[in-house]
Amino acid sequence: MTDSTATAPSADTAPPAAAHPWWRGTAGLALMVVLGLLLGAGGAWLTHRLRTPGDDSPEAGFARDMLNHHAQAVEMGLVAYRGSGDAEVRSGAVDIVMTQLTEAGMLQAWLRDWDVPPTSTDPPMSWLPAGKRHLTPDGRMPGMADAQELDRLRTASGRARDVLFLQLMIRHHLGGTHMIAAILDSTDEPEVRRAATAMRDVQSAEVKNMTALLTRLGGAPLPSS
Amino acid sequence: KKPIKPVTAADDRPWGPIALFAAVGLLAAAVIGFGVYAAARSDDEVTAADIRGLTNYRETRPELVTAGDHKPGPIAYDVRPPVGGPHNALWQNCVGEVYAAPVASEHVVHSMEHGAVWITYRPDLPPDQVDTLAAKVRNRDRMILSPFPGLDAPISMQAWGYQLTLDDAGDERVNQFIKAFRIKAAVENAPCAEGVTTTGTTPVDLPTGG
Repeated sequence: MTDSTATAPSADTAPPAAAHPWWRGTAGLALMVVLGLLLGAGGAWLTHRLRTPGDDSPEAGFARDMLNHHAQAVEMGLVAYRGSGDAEVRSGAVDIVMTQLTEAGMLQAWLRDWDVPPTSTDPPMSWLPAGKRHLTPDGRMPGMADAQELDRLRTASGRARDVLFLQLMIRHHLGGTHMIAAILDSTDEPEVRRAATAMRDVQSAEVKNMTALLTRLGGAPLPSS
Repeated sequence: KKPIKPVTAADDRPWGPIALFAAVGLLAAAVIGFGVYAAARSDDEVTAADIRGLTNYRETRPELVTAGDHKPGPIAYDVRPPVGGPHNALWQNCVGEVYAAPVASEHVVHSMEHGAVWITYRPDLPPDQVDTLAAKVRNRDRMILSPFPGLDAPISMQAWGYQLTLDDAGDERVNQFIKAFRIKAAVENAPCAEGVTTTGTTPVDLPTGG
């Protein structure tokens, strides 16, 4: 009689009754899923925070400075719109005003979205290296009129007002073009690039149109400073 | 028969899962740690709570800061310089204006409704300090500087619903106030153009009858 070789596993070699350690079971799986989700959420938050422009960024600096730059264009445009007798000047002026007010709203929304204040107490163009800021001799942004020029615009009338407005606005746009070129050189942010490119295209067309209009009215652009 | 011991690769430790959990745990700690650090470091935003000595009229006099009524003529304000409440239909031009003479509060209150910061100084403030303040105002939309006779303090800063008195233009709170409230305190968020450009404390009224 032969011994049966197929023996039932003895108690010595049987695996323990608890088949898996806890971290391989349902509880462990659930925990890993939860941990994975938390890490994913944390990573997403972190990525957003690390990737939106900060307080010192060129994007924030550009948005803040352009808000101020646009505020002056709106001011000059409204003065011209109110006081001009020339239909083409009035139309061009209000076109600029409405475009730049809309853009100003967009610039403020960017800054809110990035969680940075709309105000910096640094001098303008601080987001560019010192040699590249192109400020006027008394520290204004490129193309900005000073208080005396604005006064002259307000008190001028008739054709003189139209000519002065076009001269100041052409110079204003050319200054803005410099700021736009600088941000396009400094940022990868798709939305900032899209908006800056649009500004550049609109403003260069406006400079061409305004120059033609200025010539029709018998004036000439201001000498470039 | 001798029990057959199951063969294991190394010892009994499950190194694979341990390594996995350790890596996951480290990553979690890094994410949480950065989160705590980012939240705790002083924010880019300056808020009212950060400014020592600020009078927050939005809390103490909330009726002043619901959008104000338009009223012609002189208005008696009990807070001086005023920080809100009824005001003239016209605002004071505040695209970085530095006024050499006092201006009408009835206009500037409307400017502040648009988000302007109004810096006032007692007329005896030393000229170099006036210059320091003017440099922060000039060419900057939503900023206005004017002398205010009868001020108790040398300098008083106003925004819609907020006031801060200061002794010196070099105080770091000047910048904090501007950063906290310019544009952000606006009720009607609009640039400051098309306002009254003249000085004088009697408000300029719109002509009646349109």
